[in-house]
Amino acid sequence: MVEILTSQVVSGLATGCVYALIALGFVLIFKATDVVNFAQGEFVMVSGFISYTLLVWFGLPYWIVLLATIALSGFMGVGLERLVVRPIMDAPIFSIVIATIGASTVLRSFAGIIYGYDVLPLPTFFSKDPIRLGVLSFTAMDAGVIGSSLMIMLALYLFFKLTKTGTAMRATAQSQTAARLMGVSVTRIFSLTWAISAAVGGVAGVLIAPIIYLDPNLGLIGVKAFAGAILGGFGSIPGAIVGGMLLGVLENLSGYFFNAGIKQVSTYILLILVLVVRPSGLFGAAPIRKL
Amino acid sequence: MTPTAAPGLARFQGPFFVTLGAALLLLPLVADNYIIHVMARLFVYVLVALGLNLLTGYAGQVSLGHAAFFAIGAYTAAVLAESLQWSFVPCVLAAAAVTAVVGYLLGLPCLRLSGLYLAMATLGFTLIVQEMLLQLAVITHGSEGMSVRPAAILGFKFDSDYRKYYLLLIITVGMLLFARNVVRGRTGRAFLAIRENERAAEAMGVNLARYKTIAFAISALYTGLAGALSAFLVGFLDPQEFSFFLSIQFITIIILGGLASLLGSILGAGFLIILPEMLAGLDVWQALVYGAIMVLTIIFMPFGLSGAIRRYGYRWFGLGVEPIVPRRLGH
Repeated sequence: MVEILTSQVVSGLATGCVYALIALGFVLIFKATDVVNFAQGEFVMVSGFISYTLLVWFGLPYWIVLLATIALSGFMGVGLERLVVRPIMDAPIFSIVIATIGASTVLRSFAGIIYGYDVLPLPTFFSKDPIRLGVLSFTAMDAGVIGSSLMIMLALYLFFKLTKTGTAMRATAQSQTAARLMGVSVTRIFSLTWAISAAVGGVAGVLIAPIIYLDPNLGLIGVKAFAGAILGGFGSIPGAIVGGMLLGVLENLSGYFFNAGIKQVSTYILLILVLVVRPSGLFGAAPIRKL
Repeated sequence: MTPTAAPGLARFQGPFFVTLGAALLLLPLVADNYIIHVMARLFVYVLVALGLNLLTGYAGQVSLGHAAFFAIGAYTAAVLAESLQWSFVPCVLAAAAVTAVVGYLLGLPCLRLSGLYLAMATLGFTLIVQEMLLQLAVITHGSEGMSVRPAAILGFKFDSDYRKYYLLLIITVGMLLFARNVVRGRTGRAFLAIRENERAAEAMGVNLARYKTIAFAISALYTGLAGALSAFLVGFLDPQEFSFFLSIQFITIIILGGLASLLGSILGAGFLIILPEMLAGLDVWQALVYGAIMVLTIIFMPFGLSGAIRRYGYRWFGLGVEPIVPRRLGH
């Protein structure tokens, strides 16, 4: 019983880590550019297909595929920012949201045209055999997904904290005007932010596609990740991580105790309950009210 | 930003709506069954767009919960008609009333939420309601869906596409006039005040909680009514239809049409319902082209179709006043 429960928690945590990575992508773009990118889930889906193509069609080794997927995903992020978002940076925020939804429709149907709508198996580096450590029971895949996600998060943290570019990105997030006055090229930072967010989404795609499925609708995972980011408090990086992980664990546990239908909506029930008590999420700052 | 058209454009508003109305009255003389059916569906979407625009465009409360309101209206009407054998008029009235109450109740916990948080909470509501449609199979027949017989008033059956078209046209025009009155009256002004600045609105004596929940209730009423009419129009309810994609489609309609604009609600619904029909010949490329057109429309008309009319009416013909383009906050 305890073994089953712990294995549910660990595998929930693995999915939750992936939600957290995608949620990070949402929050990074939002903090730096004030844009909510609803095509974030599509980065996950497209990178899943990129790695499928490179692995299965071209038979390249896994590590090359991983690096190539991250790089291509980053380029896709920059491309989307240049083509769709930059022309309308002054538009109302919900117009930009609709533009990114339009872009995600394009990407989804494009993937459908090339790969069809059947579920494809994406090979993975990690094995799915169970490992036991005392009462803990998990698969190497769970451990691998959690480990890789934590590594990415640590790398991002160090990048933002220690590098000059990272500092410039944080400055831009605080005040675009002040950053520009200090000689930061804000447009370059925007592109870089989109590249990083898309690349993180790309890693998420490579990690999650073997666990759940790979088809053009994989991008819908973005909705859950967005819910995670909102739960944590939109705009807060620790919030995105904790919110995503919390949703993953809760979802898996409710799937174990109830049925699959309840599993799908339990996260949203929790989300609404939390928002009733804390309207800005768990870590979100209360909005400053201006007159 | 005033909600009504600029002075120079206002001259055209009356004649435009009269011409549009006349054209729609006469359309069945020249159009075939297929076009009439698409148009009837379009009216349903106009109703939803009017309701959503009151809440999101005028009162500034973003909702992705309207697929749920639509579903609640449709299922209430279907269950009353099929399981309890109610006739058409009480079914539709009850459906609209039930949905308005649900909207009011949803509005209560949403009072403290705004922007993205409100959007996500209402999106959650849509997903929860859709799951409930599947779980409460005793009432809703779950994933099998429900069929609904055609509407009838005093023995007159609305069973052909032409009859349904006229029924929906009359209701839509009526609800359009009602929306115009709401917008122009005290309630509409309160909505705008809330959207522009909640604190200032409160200071001017607008009861925030009251008007926000009223906005939710009226908006839900429109959407529930549309859902009920859609149930009778299509004749079959499939729970898969009421997904969050439908909510996204609704919000896309009012943003592409133009926020806080009744004309925009009509244009947006027209654009997004007719467009896929025109692209039907493209086969697998349909969704791709549809998405691309969505992106291009936003890039060239960031304030929607009605915003574009206002902008280019001024630029090219010197009509009205120069539209004020609000700068985004946080820069």
